[in-house]
Amino acid sequence: MSSGPEALPHHQQAQETLEVFRREFERFERFNDDSMIERLALSDAREVVRDLEAVKIKYTGRKSSLSKLKKMIGDIATEHRRDFNQLLRRIEEEITTSIERIETALTEHVRLRGAQRDALDVTIPGHRLESGRLHPITLLRQRIEDIFVAMGYQIEDGPEVETNFYNFTALNIPESHPARSPLDTFYLDNGLALRPQTSTVQIRTMKRSRPPLRIIAPGRCFRRDTPDATHNPMFFQVEGLLVDRHISMADLKGTLREFVRRLFGAQTVTRFRPSFFPFTEPSAEVDYSCFKCNGKGCSICKGTGWIELGGSGMVHPNVLEAVDIDPEEWRGFAFGLGIDRMCALMYGLNDIRLLYENDMRFLRQFKS
Amino acid sequence: MKISYNWLREFVATGLAPSEVTARLTMVGLAVDSVEQIGDDYVFDVEVASNRPDCLSHIGVARELAVILRTNLQLPFVNKSRVVGSSSDLISVRIDDVDLCPRYSARVVRNVKVGPSPDWLVARLASIGQRSINNIADITNYVMHEVGKPIHAFDLSQITDAQIIVRRARSDESIITLDGVVRRLDREMLVIADSMRAVAIGGVMGAENSEISVDTKDVLIESALFQTESIWRTAGRLGLQSEAAYRFSRGVDPEVCLAVIDRAFDLMCEIAGGTADNDAVDVYPNRKSPAQVSLRQERIEQITALRVDEAESERILLDLGFLPRENSAINQRVRDYLVPSWRFDVHREEDLVEEIARHVGYEKIATHLPASTTIGAYQKHEGRRRAIRQSLNGAGFSEAINLSFSDSSHDNLFDLLPGLKTEGQHQFLTLVNPIAEGFDRMRPTLLSGLLNAVRTNLNHGIRDVRLFEIGRIFVKDQGELQESKLPQERESLGLIATRPHVKAGSTSGSGDKGELNFYDVKGALEAIAEAINIAPFEFTPATVRHLRSGQSAIVLLEGRPIGSLGRLSHEIADAFRFKQPTFIAELDLSLIEEASQTPVRYQPLARFPSVLRDASLLIDRQIKLSDVMAFVRTLNADYLAEVSFVGVYEGSGVADDKRSLTLKFEYRSPDRTLHDEEADEAHSKIMNMLQNSFGAILR
Repeated sequence: MSSGPEALPHHQQAQETLEVFRREFERFERFNDDSMIERLALSDAREVVRDLEAVKIKYTGRKSSLSKLKKMIGDIATEHRRDFNQLLRRIEEEITTSIERIETALTEHVRLRGAQRDALDVTIPGHRLESGRLHPITLLRQRIEDIFVAMGYQIEDGPEVETNFYNFTALNIPESHPARSPLDTFYLDNGLALRPQTSTVQIRTMKRSRPPLRIIAPGRCFRRDTPDATHNPMFFQVEGLLVDRHISMADLKGTLREFVRRLFGAQTVTRFRPSFFPFTEPSAEVDYSCFKCNGKGCSICKGTGWIELGGSGMVHPNVLEAVDIDPEEWRGFAFGLGIDRMCALMYGLNDIRLLYENDMRFLRQFKS
Repeated sequence: MKISYNWLREFVATGLAPSEVTARLTMVGLAVDSVEQIGDDYVFDVEVASNRPDCLSHIGVARELAVILRTNLQLPFVNKSRVVGSSSDLISVRIDDVDLCPRYSARVVRNVKVGPSPDWLVARLASIGQRSINNIADITNYVMHEVGKPIHAFDLSQITDAQIIVRRARSDESIITLDGVVRRLDREMLVIADSMRAVAIGGVMGAENSEISVDTKDVLIESALFQTESIWRTAGRLGLQSEAAYRFSRGVDPEVCLAVIDRAFDLMCEIAGGTADNDAVDVYPNRKSPAQVSLRQERIEQITALRVDEAESERILLDLGFLPRENSAINQRVRDYLVPSWRFDVHREEDLVEEIARHVGYEKIATHLPASTTIGAYQKHEGRRRAIRQSLNGAGFSEAINLSFSDSSHDNLFDLLPGLKTEGQHQFLTLVNPIAEGFDRMRPTLLSGLLNAVRTNLNHGIRDVRLFEIGRIFVKDQGELQESKLPQERESLGLIATRPHVKAGSTSGSGDKGELNFYDVKGALEAIAEAINIAPFEFTPATVRHLRSGQSAIVLLEGRPIGSLGRLSHEIADAFRFKQPTFIAELDLSLIEEASQTPVRYQPLARFPSVLRDASLLIDRQIKLSDVMAFVRTLNADYLAEVSFVGVYEGSGVADDKRSLTLKFEYRSPDRTLHDEEADEAHSKIMNMLQNSFGAILR
């Protein structure tokens, strides 16, 4: 026997297997051309993928003739085994490569077409429970509280129905002051009155605790203003008070400047100008540069570039004396800011009556 | 307050443009709201703070401007050459009430010719919005706007016996004021009278009976001083706001009375051709000496952080009219100043510091953050309150804020929160001066406001409304008869939810829009307790005035009633014209916020799977789920780990007096996997017990 291993029956059997595969695979050959695949409809492509899968199993699966041939290795003379193995590997590689090349392209095509067919309209709204909204006054009040707590202030509150002492007398508001008149302040049938400002809380706090003190008091206040676009008989105010040693107007300016920068942004500029309040001396009106136009002048700031933030000043010595704090030892500053007004400006409200009408179309517009 | 630029420049030489004047005045505390060009003049609208009535005049504003410009204030020149005769021979003045009228000065101008004012005077008054009447009236008006001191001109021939008596009005007295209105006076009001009748309401307005007319020959010029409170009250009571009353109620310079008469007669002589009497009658029994205030130089810097040298602070005060006491030399660190008679607002050192600071300029004050000496803190329950708000938002409720007022006609519509007494009206807080009808009480409940809010929304066609409000409610405290006793203010939480009836078979996009019911709102409440980790609320059926019978419950927390929940009663729904189901709840928020927190302890996870069995039980309607659950739990049944509610069915196939409850039973062994048979055995035991005890029929 002088013939090479090719002449061996197992080798021949293997060659035949390859031939059979090649003949069968001929019907897939056209898919080596990508444009043929492109033309396939989704269902046809899936059909071809299944067909190809069957062929793959038929020629490389556990029951395939190739698989059987691999098990025959023991029947082969030792010196031919290496050749035989190499042959089988070559055959297997040709089969799998042929199949996989087309399979990969087809699978890709099927995924692509499938994705196109199943594409979502991602602009349709997501599923969720419709959640409620916080009132804009609450949103702003919480922001204000957060800012001042970070600056070392305690949040305080007191009664909304007050005595004349807390509403006026202790705040250095004289008996004859118009603010005390029933034209301006709401009175109850027992002589008490609704607090016209949360400065009342200053007094209660100073009577209760000794300096150093830093508080803000946000809350409802009441004045007899007939409702119109810029007035309500009830509004929210935040009163601030700091009492310490060696406090000057520079500290007041620094504090309110920091506050508006945190609330409206670091570009905000503040301006202090002289004013009058019975419970502060010296007193200052605080303006800040309009957040809308940055001080250039627009409809929000009525062309001035400035928006009034509120009143402020050094706590009047009469007020300190009313609560037994020695004005020679302690000094402080106080400020009062209207939350409703800030809210109106921040959100561009042109009629603040909306704040207390609770129209859902209004309330649903506010997000933290 | 309207201030003319040209008029100002009669008293201060300035080349400053109107826009610069605006800026400079604003920065010393006279905020200029607007500037209007009128002809060759500019008119400033100056906002004068209530402590500075001296600036309700051109000279007052000019004085501030002179200090700003470091220049002199030039007061108008008064020509006293044309004087003859003596007023004190001709007229007499008597003040009966010195409290209400501390000073009364008068002078007579004879032989005037009443007629139209010259063009310049008409134009000047027009520039500040004043209408010309006749030359005499215009002069009094002009002088008031120049000096800030109101004066009045009487036709002397109409003053009976030439006698001026300043007295309180009689209770039955009335006069016709210059505006042609009959004014009924009372004992609190001051009149200027002659021997027969009132001829003016002092400091407020003159009467027609003594008005200047074309026939007037001799004019009595009145320059008096009136008590501010009295003028303010009188003007308020009469609803008569005149320029004079405006100034008198804020305060006028007591020392300028005679000077202003001089200025007026000078103009009358010049314009109306009169001659003035040589002297004035001046009744001023209690002249006040000027107030004195000390200033320590170092306090300026301590209070304002401004470093001001003594020469500069001295200059500012001097130019503003403050006079250093002679015995306090400039090199001393403490100086005493006499306060000018037109400044009623300066009493203490701080007031002087402010004068100096505003003229040095607030803009020159540094900005500085105070060193930290305190620790920031929220209010005690702020964390819980934010969690509650968030939880309610999650349940679809938006936050409402209503005015804190309510309508007394709603007094008896509602049961108030537990613990608030409900007998009679005396417990409610009543406003004596409400802003409008229907706002006459401080609200004793949040519910009326929330109902109004729903009505507002329904009126606007919004029919799906869920709102909550957190706010105070008010009732009088136990000792309510005591004067000045503060009322109870309680933090309350109110909820309201309404949605249209669902038509059978209709569906919507989001899928959660079924018929709104009691359990939707109950779920929102339960979520609150969970959000802040307190004991779950309990609910027991109860009769509540404002709720529909059979759909109402009292809410309990740790066994204590804290509020109610249910469907709005037919009566209130009808009164508010609500046609769709509306559910409301109100809870005492303070009790919720103060409730103790349930400690969180980790529970080991079950190691073996459980066996689940559902059971639908047909039972009498009277039997509550909680009865069944409590019963099952007391059984201590084998392997029963958990029993939970799945659903309820009532309607076709179930008799009216029955309902079908579906429960889920979970059986488990702690140490092995339970066999189905073991679970079934345990389950059927429980079913038998339920049949025996409740007559439950397994469906």
